Amino acid sequence: MIDIGTIPVFGLNKDDKSHYMLGNMNYLTQFHIKNCSEYKTLMEKFGKIKHTYKEISDVPFIPVRLFKHTNLLSVPKKNIVKTMTSSGTTGQGVSQIFLDSDTSSLQVKVLSKIMSDFIGTKRLPMLVIDSKSIISNREKFSARTAGVLGFSMFGRDVEFALDEDMSMNFERVERFLDKYKSDNILIFGFTSIIWRHFVLELEELGKHLSMSKGILFHGGGWKQLENQSVDNSEFKNRISGISNITNIHNYYGMVEQTGSIFVECEYGFFHTPSFSDVIIRSHQTHSSEEIGITGLIQLLSVIPKSYPGHSILTEDLGTICGIDDCKCGRKGKYFKVHGRIKSAEIRGCSDTYT
Amino acid sequence: MIHIPEEIHNKTTFLTRGSKTISNTPCIVFDESRINFLSDLSKSLLSKANIREYPDIATFAFWCRKSNLMRIAKNQTDKNLRLGVGLAFHISPSNVPVNFAFSLAFGVLSGNICVVRLPSEDHISALIIIDEINTLLNNKKYGYDSNFIHLIKFERDDRVNQFWMSIADARVVWGGDNTVELMRSYKCKPRSREVVFPDRFSLSTIRAKCLLDLNKNEIQTLCENLFNDIYVMDQNACTSPQLLAWVGDSSIILEAKKILWDAFIRYVKSKHKLEPIHYMDKYVNACENAILNENVASVKHDNNLLFNIELSHFSDHQQSQRGYFGTVHEISIKNLNELSEIIDDRCQTLTYFGFDVEELKSFVVSNKLRGIDRIVPIGRSLDMGVIWDGYNIIEHLSRIVHIN
Repeated sequence: MIDIGTIPVFGLNKDDKSHYMLGNMNYLTQFHIKNCSEYKTLMEKFGKIKHTYKEISDVPFIPVRLFKHTNLLSVPKKNIVKTMTSSGTTGQGVSQIFLDSDTSSLQVKVLSKIMSDFIGTKRLPMLVIDSKSIISNREKFSARTAGVLGFSMFGRDVEFALDEDMSMNFERVERFLDKYKSDNILIFGFTSIIWRHFVLELEELGKHLSMSKGILFHGGGWKQLENQSVDNSEFKNRISGISNITNIHNYYGMVEQTGSIFVECEYGFFHTPSFSDVIIRSHQTHSSEEIGITGLIQLLSVIPKSYPGHSILTEDLGTICGIDDCKCGRKGKYFKVHGRIKSAEIRGCSDTYT
Repeated sequence: MIHIPEEIHNKTTFLTRGSKTISNTPCIVFDESRINFLSDLSKSLLSKANIREYPDIATFAFWCRKSNLMRIAKNQTDKNLRLGVGLAFHISPSNVPVNFAFSLAFGVLSGNICVVRLPSEDHISALIIIDEINTLLNNKKYGYDSNFIHLIKFERDDRVNQFWMSIADARVVWGGDNTVELMRSYKCKPRSREVVFPDRFSLSTIRAKCLLDLNKNEIQTLCENLFNDIYVMDQNACTSPQLLAWVGDSSIILEAKKILWDAFIRYVKSKHKLEPIHYMDKYVNACENAILNENVASVKHDNNLLFNIELSHFSDHQQSQRGYFGTVHEISIKNLNELSEIIDDRCQTLTYFGFDVEELKSFVVSNKLRGIDRIVPIGRSLDMGVIWDGYNIIEHLSRIVHIN
């Protein structure tokens, strides 16, 4: 079992972090080779099997998209307590991630450590910018459900701002804000939903909510906002314009490594906690890139044990901006994310009647 | 003259001059004024200042220059009197933009009135050709009372498809199994002809020993040729080789592979710009392949430009092991005849290096192959011609008038 107990979440310097991550990555890689036959086959055929990997960048990875097409498990099926699914881009199918109780509880522990660094250890009154209906189906966990439930652990008296038709219920929200007007409150939602159903709706109605003590966390990607040319600073400005919230944190993470999120610090960088790491790789050679170079984001996390997702190559582009020296004081790599690599037209003459 | 019903007309976008009626009057094959039309099209396309930016247009334009068309006409050994069948309806594929033009040219040379449905998505290469066709069609010198070329678009619609199928004397269907099946589901004229291009599988073979005899320049030429076959259409054309069979002793094959792939990677690096998503697509594809297929022995990708997937043996579903954007499935065999095991009616093109034509003929004949319609040297897989997929398309789209 991976130990995270006494490790400071953003306190390991480069050498300590490498040592800690490498040990765990070696352990997990061997564990998955031993327990997931598909993973072992893949590693064998790609010539990646070694007893120990000397550098963190030598640890093999698998493409994140593989979870969309193949059921990958490293524990007996009967031990699976939860199956998570990605939101799924059109036509691509959805990822299926299988969790046993150990992996599931490690997700919670890691996420708690990360969050406590931003909001403290006390639970805060929490407002979810979403509708309660998305958590009603507890069998299938979508990224949105998992996000809301995961973050709810850090809140109390959780209230949902939107009705089932995704419209703002002002009465409910104002009652909530009134009740906790002297407290810090935790606000959570998906970036695109906050934009569409909170920012744009309040702007259209000319409404203003006083939420200056709010700490907002949002994630899930910028794709829909990019189409409207909304970037992070525009997003922040518009939110504070309607609500006075200034403490706003975007986070980056994916269902394939739930729990292992990268939260944006006060200076606008995503931070790697002690329990996960980021490597940037060239899409042409898969070799690891230096600080400042943009490439594919590889994510490493100590959490995934019931499925071989401890080292995955994503389809997102990012840049590492530095290690251990962010002005916010957190140790570890800090980075930027530039969105998904674009899909392109495929030539050829197979079934193309459109 | 056939009247186009109002409903069909309303659902149709005409890319050439629109009309409420359409002729189905044929003319003789290789009609002189039609050859002139196509060769004028060739000239006007080739004289475009930016033609180099569009290698696909250049290929088409080069193919339909007058000397080549005259050569094709001369090579038609059939001395019978031939006329078109009447109205030929073409469904062109969306992802090989210039294929519509080849299909059209075949139909025109066969002496037919051609209606070509273009894919819904516009492609710049197609637009350029259409533009030139329109310029030429507006020129009276071709001497036609009625237009013989109709380029159209319509949304996928059963009634529109049914209409064209009901009046077509020939249908030319590109676009794979599903499209072929769909178009066959419509009622056709009792005597209508069919030229269809369903999904195919193509492969390549190299005699390892002959590769060792090559000097540096010759290796370079082979790399260029292989590059054309594999990368120009992202390995996604029906002619793109999916499987490469190395023939020879294993030690010689090993040596030959090293020589070829080292040089090839260098060449590909200097030439090709793949989109990041393409690298990812083929990487994911290779991973899935490795997991799902037990005949995959190893996957090498020192550089993501090329994925070499080494097979230990043929699989029962060899033709479904495909790759794109530079994914080569390789197998080593002692004798070319071993390849016959996986040849069936879906096999289209065999590209080769190190074999002579007689040998290849005997491979086909002695193994009584049900497939392989085309055997060409490596580098020529994409050469389009009137003989395609086992058809002589001109003969197929024309009728013999037997006079005694």
